Amino acid sequence: MKKLFLLAFLCFSVLSYSQTANAVIDKINAKLLAVKDYTVNANINANIPMIKIMPSNVKIYFKQKDKFKIESKGIVIVPKQGFTELNSFISNKSKYTAVFGENAVIRTIQTRLINIIPNEGAGDIVLAKIWVDVAKSVIMKSQITTLSNGTVNVDYTYGDQISRGLPSVMKFEIDVKKFKIPKSVASDINKSSADKKKASANQKTKGTITITLSNYKINTGLSDALFVKKKN
Amino acid sequence: MLLKNTYNEFIKIVAKPRSYLGFGALTLLIAIIIFAMKADGETIVSFITASFEQTLAFNGKLVNGNLIAFIILQMLVVHIPLLVALVTGDLISGEAAMGTVRMLATKPISRTQIVLSKFIAGAIYTLLLTIWLGFLSLFVSHLVFGAGDLIVLNSDGLVILQEADILWRFGLGFCVAFLALLTVATLSICLSAFAENSVGPIVSTMAIIILFTIIGSLDVTVFDTIKPYLFTTHMASWRSFFEDPVPYDSIYQSIIVLLVHIAVLIGITLYKFNKKDITS
Repeated sequence: MKKLFLLAFLCFSVLSYSQTANAVIDKINAKLLAVKDYTVNANINANIPMIKIMPSNVKIYFKQKDKFKIESKGIVIVPKQGFTELNSFISNKSKYTAVFGENAVIRTIQTRLINIIPNEGAGDIVLAKIWVDVAKSVIMKSQITTLSNGTVNVDYTYGDQISRGLPSVMKFEIDVKKFKIPKSVASDINKSSADKKKASANQKTKGTITITLSNYKINTGLSDALFVKKKN
Repeated sequence: MLLKNTYNEFIKIVAKPRSYLGFGALTLLIAIIIFAMKADGETIVSFITASFEQTLAFNGKLVNGNLIAFIILQMLVVHIPLLVALVTGDLISGEAAMGTVRMLATKPISRTQIVLSKFIAGAIYTLLLTIWLGFLSLFVSHLVFGAGDLIVLNSDGLVILQEADILWRFGLGFCVAFLALLTVATLSICLSAFAENSVGPIVSTMAIIILFTIIGSLDVTVFDTIKPYLFTTHMASWRSFFEDPVPYDSIYQSIIVLLVHIAVLIGITLYKFNKKDITS
């Protein structure tokens, strides 16, 4: 009888924690889903090993649920994942189980870790972790591990759009596996074979892309045609 | 007298049908490359960006006129020396083969001036070929593909240069490419002074370029000490203008090496031609 009582208590505890984590996610979802679409100016600053690119200004368009477009004058580099995947994933509660992890302080803000474990057949995401400012119902940090693209960490900073859950700065930390340069293309007269080997050994595997977002225009009724890819 | 003889030498080059082979071949090759890039340019670019695309997404117009011009330059700078040597390798030996060298030497002009006028005429031909290459690769590819940022792959990784920051790099790159081709022209003129027929200097020039290029491209430590002194190593230094920051020190070094080669080769040619027995 004692054992049965203990088991019931444990089940109740886990269930109540799980519900609480889901409740936190619900609040985040409610905020995010209230934003049907937005247009925002962005400054993209990429600091990635083996890639030299100047910071560039672009315009980002987003429409629920996962329509996303970057409009730029020149070439810009953005993370392959991290913009829409997380929001899209957490909005469908049947796809995952959420459980609380430990507390953490991020930039003096008390946050709660929520581990989001995908249910079977949930797709590319293997594990998602989000650190949530429970008081304001916003994600302060996320870590998404996918089958296809490895792990991406994102730090979020909020400004005047915190009430809608839209960040003002997103800092992506990217795990760049050792890039391989085709030898036939990459002849370099300034480096000896020893220099090249040394450079290859010292190659960093982490990079960051900082996206500073400003001048949000929310719920302006963006057309679906805007997101149709044009052929060059 | 030097200028007048240079003019005469240039007229001789213009009068030879083989001089137009270079321009014709360049036009045809560039047309083929532009056609191929128009048909399948995305695949070529994905070959460059493939290893980055697992984690990153490249947004914007990657296949554009600047990239095509860069690819054309990269592909053709290896082959243009043959087109240059085809004409300049004949400048002295052609006279010997036709028996006109004696008549030339009887003119009231020193042998040194004869060699220098041939060298200047060869340099003008090389310059025209380089300008034609620049016009076709930059102007035509911009016309077909439009402008845009340039994505360059080197041994350090990718460099993405903004559209407004590219044209001057092409300008200076073409200047250094011209200097490299001038070295090839001088080499073939030098070899031409030793030969009695045109084929020998042309084939020898190409053989030397191929040999030096192979030594330069072998990633073996034992060749690291020789590589900086081979002119073929510095023929690719135009590419350095597309790095960020531009390694001016290594470019200056390349220019000095190429100029020293030109000076030494002209010196050898002058010595040989002045000593040349034209009576037998």
